Amino acid sequence: MAEMEAKSGGGHKKGPGVKKGKKLSTRVDLTPMVDLGFLLITFFIFTTTMSQPTAMNLAMPKDTDKPDETNKVKESGALTIMLGKGDVVYYYYGIDPTKMQTTGYKDVRKIILDKKKATPTDDFFVTIKPDKDATYKNAVNMLDEMSINDVHRYAMIDPSADEYTLITMTEKAGGIH
Amino acid sequence: MGRAKIKRGSTNIDMTAMCDVAFLLLSFFILTTKFKPAEAVTVVTPASVSNTHALQKDAFTVSIDKEGRIFADLSDEMKGDVIDRISTDRNLNLSAQDKNLFKKSTFIGSPLNQLSSFIRIAPEDLKNVRLTGIPADSSNNELLAWINAAVNSYAGRTINFYIKGDNNAKYTAFKNVIEAFKKNDIYKYKLITNPEGVPAGSELEKANRDAVTNPKK
Repeated sequence: MAEMEAKSGGGHKKGPGVKKGKKLSTRVDLTPMVDLGFLLITFFIFTTTMSQPTAMNLAMPKDTDKPDETNKVKESGALTIMLGKGDVVYYYYGIDPTKMQTTGYKDVRKIILDKKKATPTDDFFVTIKPDKDATYKNAVNMLDEMSINDVHRYAMIDPSADEYTLITMTEKAGGIH
Repeated sequence: MGRAKIKRGSTNIDMTAMCDVAFLLLSFFILTTKFKPAEAVTVVTPASVSNTHALQKDAFTVSIDKEGRIFADLSDEMKGDVIDRISTDRNLNLSAQDKNLFKKSTFIGSPLNQLSSFIRIAPEDLKNVRLTGIPADSSNNELLAWINAAVNSYAGRTINFYIKGDNNAKYTAFKNVIEAFKKNDIYKYKLITNPEGVPAGSELEKANRDAVTNPKK
């Protein structure tokens, strides 16, 4: 730090009875001004970079009716995640929706990772089924979870009628409105 | 031997030069910062770990607000072509003045039959008007027409399609938008999100670290 107060007054000392006609120095201590300047610069640098939004790639498959163009999913490697009302996640392994379990967004990562470790890479397939009460945030969070956990095979489709009834029943039982 | 005299240097530094630089930079940043224009529709986007930046050029952004209303936002260079196209496609009979007004408007937030009155709303009044948004349900899907007009009038050039959804928007609204894209044979688009840190210890973090240490792989 530069010297703060030392000579800024221009040495206007008064001896006993002696008056010095010294000129006041025109030098101003600029340190605080520089401090302020850099503080503002930092503020502007941070705010400009922060506000830039990022974009997340999303590629959806083409609808197809031909059975040979559809993806086949092995039952052993399938994990279905359903997104329900009130940030609740339902999931089941394989093809049986009645074995559905309930979890939240915080714990779903562990479930995905455990299943991923337990199955061969080529068989692992995650199906994301947001129901009509799920929010956009839920869907994005789940897609994000796919990239966080490095899951390459996943699809996003609507829940079937059976699954939807199951979700509604669970929600009623759990008292989620 | 005479010892060299150590002259005590003054600790006063001339701050003028530094101050000049600081304020030069400051004025540069103040002038270059573009504050976000006040939006008539507030959309709070969710966060994702994605780190690619959204481009402003040739962008077709579909916004979904928390009530599920849908708005479209075209970048300036596209507006002229798109309005010409949709006007002929849908027989809207828009005058040249209407088209100019459209080019100045910030976003599209009304059904096609109310478009000419919508573009006459002054930007500062948009907040006070109840906007209906673009209909995008299965019975009347005008978003489809807008995307179609954009694709056709912009043939040969790539449009960056973005979806900007609000945290609390229902998934059904998002699905309608995806359907509209799908019907136009567009399968790749981007979701606008806020940046978020990659969770520590996750697979993605490991993959990113590997990419830094062995760039070849």
